Amino acid sequence: MKTNLEFGPICRALLRNKVGAVLIALQIALTMTIVVNAIFIIVERQALMQRESGIDEANSFYLTSTGFGNDFEPKRVIEQDLDVIRNTPGVIDAIQINAIPISGGGWSMSLTTEPGDDQEDVSTANYFVDAHGINALDLEVIAGRNFTATDIRWRERNQPDWPDNAMITKALAEKLFPDIPWQSVVGKTVYIGDDEPVIVTGIVDKLQAPWIGWSELENAMLSPEKMVSESTRYFIRIEPGERDRLMAELEDTLANAYGNRLIRNVTTVTETRERSYRQHSAMIKILSTVMVLLTLITAMGIIGLTSFNVNRRRKQIGTRRALGASKQAIVRYFMLENVIISTTGILLGVAMTIGLNMLLIEWFAMTALDWYYIPAGMVVLFVVGQLAVLGPALKAAATPPAIATRTV
Amino acid sequence: MFYYYLKLASKSIKRTPWLSGLMMLAIALGIGACMTTITVNYLMSANPIPEKSDQLYYVQLDSWSPHFAAREPNEPPDQLTWTDATNLMQAQQAFRQSAMASSGGVVQPDNPDVKTFMASLRLNFADFFPMFNAPFLYGSGWQYSDDVARKQVAVISKETNDRVFGGENSVGKSITIAGEMFTVVGVLDEWVLVPRFYDVTTGAFSETEDVFIPFYMKQVMQLSNGGNTNCWKSPEGEGFEAFLMSECINYQMWVELPTDADRDAYMTFLNAYVDEQKALGRFPRPHNNRLSDVMTWMETEEVVADDAQIMMYMAFLFLFVCILNTVGLLLSKFATRNGDVALRRAIGATKGAIFAQYITETALIGLIGGVLGLALASLGLQAIESLYGDFISELVHLDATMVVLSFGIAITASVLAGCYPAWRVCSIPPASQLKTQ
Amino acid sequence: MLSMNNINKVFRTDLVETTALRDFNLTIDEGDFVSVTGPSGSGKTTFLNIAGLLETYTSGQYVLDGTDVSNLSDRQRSQLRNEKIGFIFQSFNLIPDLNLYDNVDVPLRYRGFSKQERHKRITQSLERVGLANRMKHLPAQLSGGQQQRVAIARALAGEPRFLLADEPTGNLDSQMAKSVMALLQEINQQGTTIVMVTHDPELAMQTGKNVFVRDGQISEHETLVPVALASNQ
Repeated sequence: MKTNLEFGPICRALLRNKVGAVLIALQIALTMTIVVNAIFIIVERQALMQRESGIDEANSFYLTSTGFGNDFEPKRVIEQDLDVIRNTPGVIDAIQINAIPISGGGWSMSLTTEPGDDQEDVSTANYFVDAHGINALDLEVIAGRNFTATDIRWRERNQPDWPDNAMITKALAEKLFPDIPWQSVVGKTVYIGDDEPVIVTGIVDKLQAPWIGWSELENAMLSPEKMVSESTRYFIRIEPGERDRLMAELEDTLANAYGNRLIRNVTTVTETRERSYRQHSAMIKILSTVMVLLTLITAMGIIGLTSFNVNRRRKQIGTRRALGASKQAIVRYFMLENVIISTTGILLGVAMTIGLNMLLIEWFAMTALDWYYIPAGMVVLFVVGQLAVLGPALKAAATPPAIATRTV
Repeated sequence: MFYYYLKLASKSIKRTPWLSGLMMLAIALGIGACMTTITVNYLMSANPIPEKSDQLYYVQLDSWSPHFAAREPNEPPDQLTWTDATNLMQAQQAFRQSAMASSGGVVQPDNPDVKTFMASLRLNFADFFPMFNAPFLYGSGWQYSDDVARKQVAVISKETNDRVFGGENSVGKSITIAGEMFTVVGVLDEWVLVPRFYDVTTGAFSETEDVFIPFYMKQVMQLSNGGNTNCWKSPEGEGFEAFLMSECINYQMWVELPTDADRDAYMTFLNAYVDEQKALGRFPRPHNNRLSDVMTWMETEEVVADDAQIMMYMAFLFLFVCILNTVGLLLSKFATRNGDVALRRAIGATKGAIFAQYITETALIGLIGGVLGLALASLGLQAIESLYGDFISELVHLDATMVVLSFGIAITASVLAGCYPAWRVCSIPPASQLKTQ
Repeated sequence: MLSMNNINKVFRTDLVETTALRDFNLTIDEGDFVSVTGPSGSGKTTFLNIAGLLETYTSGQYVLDGTDVSNLSDRQRSQLRNEKIGFIFQSFNLIPDLNLYDNVDVPLRYRGFSKQERHKRITQSLERVGLANRMKHLPAQLSGGQQQRVAIARALAGEPRFLLADEPTGNLDSQMAKSVMALLQEINQQGTTIVMVTHDPELAMQTGKNVFVRDGQISEHETLVPVALASNQ
């Protein structure tokens, strides 16, 4: 049966009962504002969290060894330790390293392509590794060559100069020399700390810096050296499934191998990632909860108010039924009413969503919302509104038409 | 009369349990979200030393590169070089002053039963303790003369004292720190600073250190650098001394200046000092020295995390939605009672009486919502602690202020929400509903 | 036009069973103006609800304008109501949020008429009841009699074959009642079948045929007593 949609009369009826409709529309607008911005933040944070560090995170861990006492010989202990670790069954490789990727603490330097302190510089994280670095960190040398044993030197405490050669990440190569293909960066000289030349002898595929919030996260440089230091970190890559066993085992082995030192902070990279990104994962969880609760509250609000309207309009609904409205027509009436209210709210919501996003950009240096979040949000809120109104509308449709002849 | 309204209100709430429950839940969720985020923000932005926060100043000197600023836009670096820290200390131009650094070292207790452990170290001057009102359990801090004489004295935290000395008064006892013997001169009591304002360069919500030793020990013992080290040019020469003498920054400095005149005088002194250094070929940038009091410094360092603020604003919007929701539901609820109101009006109730009756009802709903909200807030704070980890455990306590505030907000919110519906209901003409129904 | 054969209507609850109509038989011819009277609780309203397809019956047969309505779906019944039956209620049942124009429009919308057609019918029927000049007014701005006229206009706009009136003057004073009654008679004379339920003997006397209902059945022995008329004067 062909039935005219009742836009005009519903609108005019709504205008006579503005307050309820306005409240719902405002709730929808605010809900949309929060939900869309929250989803945007969530998606952004998730993208951050999905970035790969480049190392074999699941099968790596690290620990700190701190020696004490006046007769502590760092060089000897480090060599012995690395020997012991590398020869432990289940260990793929191990290195001494100055900083752990994505852990939050490390070294950085600025590099230039010409000497001099007035040159445009590119910042990079610095990792000190020996020839086992590539294997232990699970990197791939995609151009040039890996370090050899002869490249490696000992860096004394507070030694300011740098080895003659280094490997850098592909991302760093492209930043330093944007005009040439990254493969040809091998053999180029870069200047570290303004004027000290270092030759790039290899390019590695990917390795992140220690600071996940840093804009130059993908810039990393590997320097062929070991450090003379009482306190030192070993990074250990093991066979899959061996991690927990080897963490305990190596901690004991190392502690027993030499009395005058502490083995501390035995930590998996997985744990490190979790800790580094904890703020983001927390934000994601909190915003998700807020979103769900808010949508529920708004839906409940719509259900409550519509139910109330249905009760208040029982007689009117009965009359409509008596005058020939089918059950579907009654359901449609309430759905349509909700369409009008929702649309108003959603349109207002679009403006408010953009407004909040602009405020967030202004106050918190956030990025601008991608356009497609808006239509997506509109659809979601629209569907929520229609679903919420469905229950009360069906209840309305069940109103017996005979109620029209009841005089009370 | 109030009791009568209360009775009517509770009856009315019982009559519509679902609708009333929904309103309470909405208010509770809104309040819970707000309280949780307000608490975190409130504690983050708390004044850690209210009694003298406006007399303590963080010192910044712009010793940075001639070509670029330490921080855009043209901000001076957030730490000092060793050279400047020691020069300013030697000048002794402030009422109190302490340069400081952080480091770490192995503590070897004399007692063989106590395990050797890694301790966090703060290197500071004698004034540090009186300046920051550090609470002492035993003994006291050291003297500036001890600093100058490079005496190996230490103040240890209560926790360290418990660990190494089993909690007894250890003043006068010796302790081996990073391979050197120190004499304990003082034991601190529990010292919780939120934020740990004296050094926020490595995160504002770290704990206070395990061990405090004189600043010059850095040089004497060649202690490693804690916190952030930044250099705009490489040290000239090799070795520890070369690093100390370089333009690398790793040190913080606070001064206590009781009056504005003191402050101005110290600023003049700083500018004169920089001019002096310029003559020696340092400080290539124009004068850009800063003295920031505690709260200004906290703001500059953006101690309150963006995420916490974003969450708080979102929570306010959330509460607003919950209030709108409640207004809508109250309108519905009250509208069903038009007959009742008309009857009451007909038998002599004034508009005011009707209004009072309905406002009482909304306030009751608000109160219950507030209690629920408070429960939700403490759950929320627990959730935040479990999500963010222990390091913010000092930020997730509900204190009395917060409890009062949450009830205030809950009742205000619900009464505000109830005003319009109650006004609508009390303006029903007395006879209107009696005839036709 | 309308024929009911042995209609029974039983209301059941967990505890009791109430028979509202018992073997109810009634035939109404095209063009009749029938009044249905009877004491409270006699089944008048049940009869009206069944005749108007607002309620279903328990057993029996009801043929409306050649259609046996026994096995129709809710949608078909709605459509039938919409096309063949006009309703006039005691309390008018105008929709308070809609103006007169939109109120008359309600059944026409469900009929699926074009906008022009609806407009034509709304204006015509409002003109017919003398309220064309107040189209934009809300029901609350009219007197009771005027409201009932709007309800009549709403019933007429769909040009039903059959008009069901439930105490149409029950909420009106005598002056207004008279004019509403006159309007109904005029409509009847133009060919519309009318069934009017009322408890007012005076009104019933003014219709061509009267049916007296008692205990869910048509009572053959009782008719309207002219004395009632006399006593009312």
